[in-house]
Amino acid sequence: MPPELEQTLSLLSSHRSVLGYLLLSRGHPVCIIRYSGVIFEGEQGKKYASAISKIVESVQAGLEEVNGPDNDGDEVRFMRIRTKRHEIMISPDERYLLAVLHDPAT
Amino acid sequence: MSDKRRAEIEAKRAKLAELRKARADRQRAETERRQSDTGGPSIARRDVDDLVNALVGGLSSTSDVTPSSSLPGTPPRPAPNTLSGYSALSISGRLSRQSDVGSDRPSIGTTLVQSVNSATDHVIERTMIPRFVPDLIDVEQELYELPQRERVIYNKEVQTTAVETESPTFREEDIRQQIQRDLEAERNARDDDLEEESIQLEKEIEQEMRELTEEERASILAAPEFLDFVEQSSKILQRALNDGYDYIRDYTIGADSGGDDSEGKRVKRVCAFYDERYGKNRSVTDVDWSPKYPELSIASYNKNPAALNEPDGIVLVWNLHLLERPEFVFHSQSDVLSVTFSPFHSNLVFGGTYSGQILLWDTRSKHLPVLKTPLSAAGHTHPVYAMQMVGTQNAHNLITSSTDGTVCSWLVDMLAQPQETLELVHAGHNKTGEVAITTLDFPDNETTTFWVGTEEGNVYQANRYDRAGAKAGLNQYDIYKGHSGPVMGLNFHPLVGPVDFSDLFLTSSVDWTVKLWRAKSLAKPSTTAHTIAPIYSFDEADDYVYDVKWHPAHPAMFGTVDGSGKFDLWNLNTDTEVPTVSTNVGSGRAINKLEWDRKDGRRAALGGSDGKLYVYDIGDMGIPRESEWTDMQKAVAGIVGGGQTNGVVDGEATRIVAGR
Repeated sequence: MPPELEQTLSLLSSHRSVLGYLLLSRGHPVCIIRYSGVIFEGEQGKKYASAISKIVESVQAGLEEVNGPDNDGDEVRFMRIRTKRHEIMISPDERYLLAVLHDPAT
Repeated sequence: MSDKRRAEIEAKRAKLAELRKARADRQRAETERRQSDTGGPSIARRDVDDLVNALVGGLSSTSDVTPSSSLPGTPPRPAPNTLSGYSALSISGRLSRQSDVGSDRPSIGTTLVQSVNSATDHVIERTMIPRFVPDLIDVEQELYELPQRERVIYNKEVQTTAVETESPTFREEDIRQQIQRDLEAERNARDDDLEEESIQLEKEIEQEMRELTEEERASILAAPEFLDFVEQSSKILQRALNDGYDYIRDYTIGADSGGDDSEGKRVKRVCAFYDERYGKNRSVTDVDWSPKYPELSIASYNKNPAALNEPDGIVLVWNLHLLERPEFVFHSQSDVLSVTFSPFHSNLVFGGTYSGQILLWDTRSKHLPVLKTPLSAAGHTHPVYAMQMVGTQNAHNLITSSTDGTVCSWLVDMLAQPQETLELVHAGHNKTGEVAITTLDFPDNETTTFWVGTEEGNVYQANRYDRAGAKAGLNQYDIYKGHSGPVMGLNFHPLVGPVDFSDLFLTSSVDWTVKLWRAKSLAKPSTTAHTIAPIYSFDEADDYVYDVKWHPAHPAMFGTVDGSGKFDLWNLNTDTEVPTVSTNVGSGRAINKLEWDRKDGRRAALGGSDGKLYVYDIGDMGIPRESEWTDMQKAVAGIVGGGQTNGVVDGEATRIVAGR
């Protein structure tokens, strides 16, 4: 693990309102590369991972549907989904995906 | 292994599509048949209805009775017809269904055995009831023909009234609806089937989500594109996190009304940018704001004596939306003393270094400069403390100055050698003629003549080119004498608003004073040595005053920063003796540089010697009223006119003159 990567991720997880991050490798199947926070531990983390990847895929599919066959290179870059309790922010690219769960009320 | 699985899933998907297609075909056939139904004869419809009702009624009561009860009711003659037609139709119906079943079966084989079996069991149960419906349709069709052919039979039918009266009198519409309902049920069952199958698929996919092996994880973590991805996406997330606003905040819920600490304070700190790795043991030597993105600011840093492996000079681009770390990091082999964003290319950043090199970084490239000047006599060989970009979008130059009195003009894409070099020398200096430039500034709208502040405390005017009555280089005759220590900051009044004050400039010095000057008109060049005194002196500070900058929007406002860490905001229209607001910044260590944001001057970036870049918000103070310019005119007139009676200024001026 390169130290600068470690530092970047620790910076991210040490943010005041952040409950945890999830670093996924996209594609089939989805794999958790790294995570932090109690909320992403074990089975719960896997559920989050599959839910997040499904969300991203369906948004991507919707985007392709809207743009038609000549999808002019548009892709999902960033998503924030606010639930009553938390907010999840997702930044995907073709191969990986970084998601952060935080509590905006804190 | 996963490939095989995926292939299986693909096969299943194809099967689902097949199922859907078969269903669509069946539906089409159904509608066609219905059309032919409606086109059929309607004379004996009642009889048909009755018969069908009998069947349906029988079905609804007990399914076992249906065949037996209907048989006696059917007349003997058409019986064979009915049967043949029935069988033919039922075969066709069965055929289509069989094809369905056939397509179901193989899918069972491919999917997970256990769970799918249960699913198909379920399907069979569901389809039991609808299976009777096509039988009903069949009978109905045959019976249409029956009365049409022979009306004679009508009388015979009458005889069977006893059977018929038992059945409830349904209308054709009802039957149709019934059929529709049943079809619907069948379709729903099929949809459920499909849905279940897709759920199955997803479940399977979910189950396949597995742990990465150590090698896989290591290879991902080491991949450069993965590093890039984390770098970029974590930046995006951090920006969003720093947004700090809760978008679903409910204002109807009473929040705790704790008193705001910053209440009544008109200058507020927005943030302090600091990076442990790059800012430690370093000082901010210069600051600037991005001309294009108001949230970006830049700071240059000198060397960290404790870190031998880190580059000596660092330049960090900071984003107001990303507080934890710099947006960009640039390296230099020598301490960076001055930095500026290119006003014409938002990607380019220029830096002047202690070694004399001018560096050009590009935000699109990595840490190292994309262009740099050679360390040769053609350029600078002494520290470059001051630089400025002059000109227009299509014709601009970077003007740099070093402490040996060299001023160079560069084309931004050609740093191999300067376009022009100017040696500022003063004949009056003993030993060396050098003019040690610490700061320089061009008046607004002026690209050929500039003023320089020097280490000896004097301010001089210099020309880039020969002009009427004056040679290129230092103007030897006009000496702006007033400071008794090195001049640290020099700033011309910005050209905004209805009144032109662009001949006024301010200087700050290590002699604890800030002075206001009026530049001598260039139209009448002096021919003999001539000393120009400041028109006012601000003696409020009790430490070195490191920088002074006019506010970009308010004509009478300027800010100063000093060695005790104070940020003073002056408004000449309200008071010329003391600052309007004085703020202690940070830990009380010196603040080296001050820069107003380029838009409306609401924010000020302050470069601290503790390695932090502070950003302060001055609120509405920087918004000028209509009358500020005329007030400023009066204030300046008052300063100049009252200068004779103002003991400080008078004393200052006479002291210097006497000291010559």
